[in-house]
Amino acid sequence: MTQKDDEQKNLTDHEYDGIREYDYQLPTWWLNLFYASIVFAAGYFIWYQWMDGRSIQEEYQAEKAKLDIILANEASKSATVSEADLLALVKEPAQIKAGKEVFQNRCAVCHGAQGQGLIGPNLTDEYWLHGGKLAQIAQTVTNGIPEKGMPPWGPLLTPQQIHSVVAYIRSIRGSNPPNAKAAQGELYKE
Amino acid sequence: MNQPEKAQEFDSFSYDDDIVKKFVHATLIWGFIAMLAGVFIASQLANWRLNLGLPWITFGRLRPVHTNGAIFAFAGNAVFAGVYYSMQRLLKTRMYSDLLSRVHFWGWQLIIVAAAITLPLGYTVGKEYAELEWPIAFAINVIWVIFAFNFFKTIQIRRERHIYVAIWFYIATILTTALLHVLNTIQIPVSMWKSYPIYSGVQDALVQWWYGHNAVAFVLTTPFLGLMYYFLPKAADRPVYSYRLSIVHFWSLVFIYIWAGPHHLLYTALPEWAQTLGMIFSIMLIAPSWGGMINGLLTLRGAWNRVRTEPILKFFVAGLTFYGMATLEGPLLSIKSISAVGHYTDWIIGHVHGGTLGWNGFITFAMVYWLVPRLWNTKLYSEKLANLHFWVGFLGTLTYVISMWTAGITQGLMWRAIDASGKLVYPDFIETVTRIVPLYYVRAVGGALYLSGFVIMLYNIYRTIALAPKEVEPVVVRAPKLLEPTFEMLGRKPHRILEGLPGLFAVLSFVAVAVGTFIELTPAVLSSDYVAVNPAVKPYSPLQLQGRDIYVREGCYLCHSQMVRPLISETLRYGSYSRAEESVYDRPFQWGSKRTGPDLARVGGKYPDLWHYRHMMDPRDVTPDSIMPIYPWLYRDKIDFDVLKKKLQVMKSLGVPYTDDEVEHASDLAHEEAHRIASGLVAQGVPADTEDKDIIALIAYLQRLGADFKKGLIQ
Ligand code: HEC
Ligand code: HEC
Repeated sequence: MTQKDDEQKNLTDHEYDGIREYDYQLPTWWLNLFYASIVFAAGYFIWYQWMDGRSIQEEYQAEKAKLDIILANEASKSATVSEADLLALVKEPAQIKAGKEVFQNRCAVCHGAQGQGLIGPNLTDEYWLHGGKLAQIAQTVTNGIPEKGMPPWGPLLTPQQIHSVVAYIRSIRGSNPPNAKAAQGELYKE
Repeated sequence: MNQPEKAQEFDSFSYDDDIVKKFVHATLIWGFIAMLAGVFIASQLANWRLNLGLPWITFGRLRPVHTNGAIFAFAGNAVFAGVYYSMQRLLKTRMYSDLLSRVHFWGWQLIIVAAAITLPLGYTVGKEYAELEWPIAFAINVIWVIFAFNFFKTIQIRRERHIYVAIWFYIATILTTALLHVLNTIQIPVSMWKSYPIYSGVQDALVQWWYGHNAVAFVLTTPFLGLMYYFLPKAADRPVYSYRLSIVHFWSLVFIYIWAGPHHLLYTALPEWAQTLGMIFSIMLIAPSWGGMINGLLTLRGAWNRVRTEPILKFFVAGLTFYGMATLEGPLLSIKSISAVGHYTDWIIGHVHGGTLGWNGFITFAMVYWLVPRLWNTKLYSEKLANLHFWVGFLGTLTYVISMWTAGITQGLMWRAIDASGKLVYPDFIETVTRIVPLYYVRAVGGALYLSGFVIMLYNIYRTIALAPKEVEPVVVRAPKLLEPTFEMLGRKPHRILEGLPGLFAVLSFVAVAVGTFIELTPAVLSSDYVAVNPAVKPYSPLQLQGRDIYVREGCYLCHSQMVRPLISETLRYGSYSRAEESVYDRPFQWGSKRTGPDLARVGGKYPDLWHYRHMMDPRDVTPDSIMPIYPWLYRDKIDFDVLKKKLQVMKSLGVPYTDDEVEHASDLAHEEAHRIASGLVAQGVPADTEDKDIIALIAYLQRLGADFKKGLIQ
């Protein structure tokens, strides 16, 4: 059969404003694609809604449990830092430099570029809302005061970064920057 | 009746081509404006300075101008042009009423003008592609009914026994769009330009995305398939490939499409069974969508040699190919695990533009190049320019789509990256933004290329029309009158019979879309325990409500989501996932669909008031590389305290548990709260006259977001 015959055979008698229609068979691959998608859809629905398929919630809880174990491990690793360790860091110029960088990137928006206080309190004076011991400051920085708008930095910074920024804060104590915010909290002296 | 066949009478009549010309003009004018707005907002994302600090051209207000303009003004007018041209010829009759055609035309243009004025002014419902406030939404319903009436009456007076596949698609379009638009825009007015939807939270989200997805289906897909079925065989001068493929893909497309809406809500607080339905119906859509592409491309068998030279056929081939690509990509993005990466990113923007630029744009261009010389009884001014348009448009589309794929996938992967110690690799959201800003420039270039192609077409069409003969005799058509059908005349095959009974056809196609609608929406809309109401969660305070309306007005939802998904990377970044109870008082819901900025569902209490005060003034003050616009007018404009009582009344009538006392004293309550917030700020150096400014209401709202969850009121 020539192509012409084939076309003639498949041509319908429909005509609309000069448009004619063939009536070729549905392409097999197309039909199979359609059937396959229907079978997949039905199977998917049955498995996930009515059988053992894990729901989004179950999936999430499983992932969350794994994450919690990792986080607990990490927390136990970094929990042990003493006041003396932190004080020692204050003498290391490399630590102060690293701490300053973190401070400028993360803290300056709220505490001012010189730590003079802005949205958050002045960090260069001797008054502290949450304790002026370096270990206490490290605590404040790690856990934040979320209800007062001080973000927790534990999830964002590594323990090393937190320690160096604490060292940096200690290094600017008494620097008396201009426009400093009035003191808040209790006096603390080492 | 028993008239003898041979005594058939002939009618002489002419087609109303003037209405087609009008719609072609409108398509070209609005197309230019909508695309220009698109290029402009794309540039604003690349460079925030282009927001210029002016309220009415800021990103959040202009994006709806672009989206609504492109969908309803450009594509809408193109569809009407094609429908009026083709249906008269396919039905061998003039339109039922020229007057109604004109009411339709001018009504539609007025609606567009009203939209173009009100959206920049911030009058918006705050639901994507349904932003137009109630008077305009109502006008759309009226004009649509007029169009539908004229359309069905024209079918009734046809001189062609059977209706062609293009008409099937038009029928499905007209009925479904009416259903979608009416159900999604039921809202209670507060004032001339403000209303609240009757649905809230999860319900609103479900109805909105049932609408939003099917706006894509029944405004950008089915009518364009109808146009393709008329103009492609005409342009190619070839018979349509397969009648039975038309039947199978038409019915399967119409039946399946309507279910797929919830794929926009995967991993949200929508009940999972509805999400699963959205996903599986999307998968089942691949073949029905491709049916249209195959039928189009195979119609070109025997005309492929002409594709190389004729720009019209090039546009058709590329348009159909982009359609095939987009309708494969869409279902893939509906697979839950792929959605987890792609949702909220620019991948979705790339996906949409593959469809709109590639499919809707190119089919429209093909149609316009084919129509204009015929309507004006002349020849196209320049084939060469049309070819140039094609290549520039093609390159523009590819540039756009590829840059957005890259941006979307890059950002999606950055958001979820977690290192071995359980920390986010990119904890700063802004890092994931600065990484893709270069691609925003590339995208803007892609859009600009596409727009240049369009301008080339405008010039070409302008010259073509200028060349046209001024006086043209109207063409008189002769066609036999249609006799009362006998069963014999309708044909033997069931579907052929149905094609002779358009009323029944319309009913059946309505049933096809009603099934999915009913099964998905009724549980949400009717059942009160679909979302458990938690008595501990209080409605918004009057000031927070006012702040929320400012959030809606400024289109913050176009850059920010308020829906944390149950994925651990999101828990680390934002906190625990969003619960359905958290949005029971949200009218409209503001879950969002795009995270150009971070999710805000848990932003309450994250920062002090002063942080927000400075951030909204200039985001760069607190986040140096931010691309968020500045909002200086929020510091100048005063809070409208007087409207609050009315707002609370409307909310109360919708079932929000405000006490009578709260409604009565709404304004006082708001004043008190504003005073509290402002005094805190003033103590920190903010100007003393801030208390009655919009920014205070907005801060009140932002600080409420997620606060109930953080207080432990929601488990
Ligand atoms: C979003 C603004 C913001 C950012 C960013 C911010 N802080 Fe704070 N910070 C505050 C606020 C507000 C307080 C006060 C909390 C209170 O009133 O209890 C505070 C308190 C503190 C305190 C306790 C001060 C005291 O008096 O006890 C320390 C220490 C501190 N911040 C360190 C940091 C460090 C280090 C960074 C950067 C890693 C940082 N902050 C970033 C807002 C911020
Ligand atoms: C063009 C997109 C865009 C628009 C429109 C926009 N934002 Fe943003 N927004 C961003 C980006 C990007 C960020 C992240 C950088 C930053 O902090 O500024 C952001 C951050 C924020 C944040 C801080 C979130 C956090 O957790 O750190 C808040 C709050 C916010 N936007 C509120 C708003 C409000 C309110 C509006 C409407 C008046 C708005 N945004 C409009 C892009 C946008």
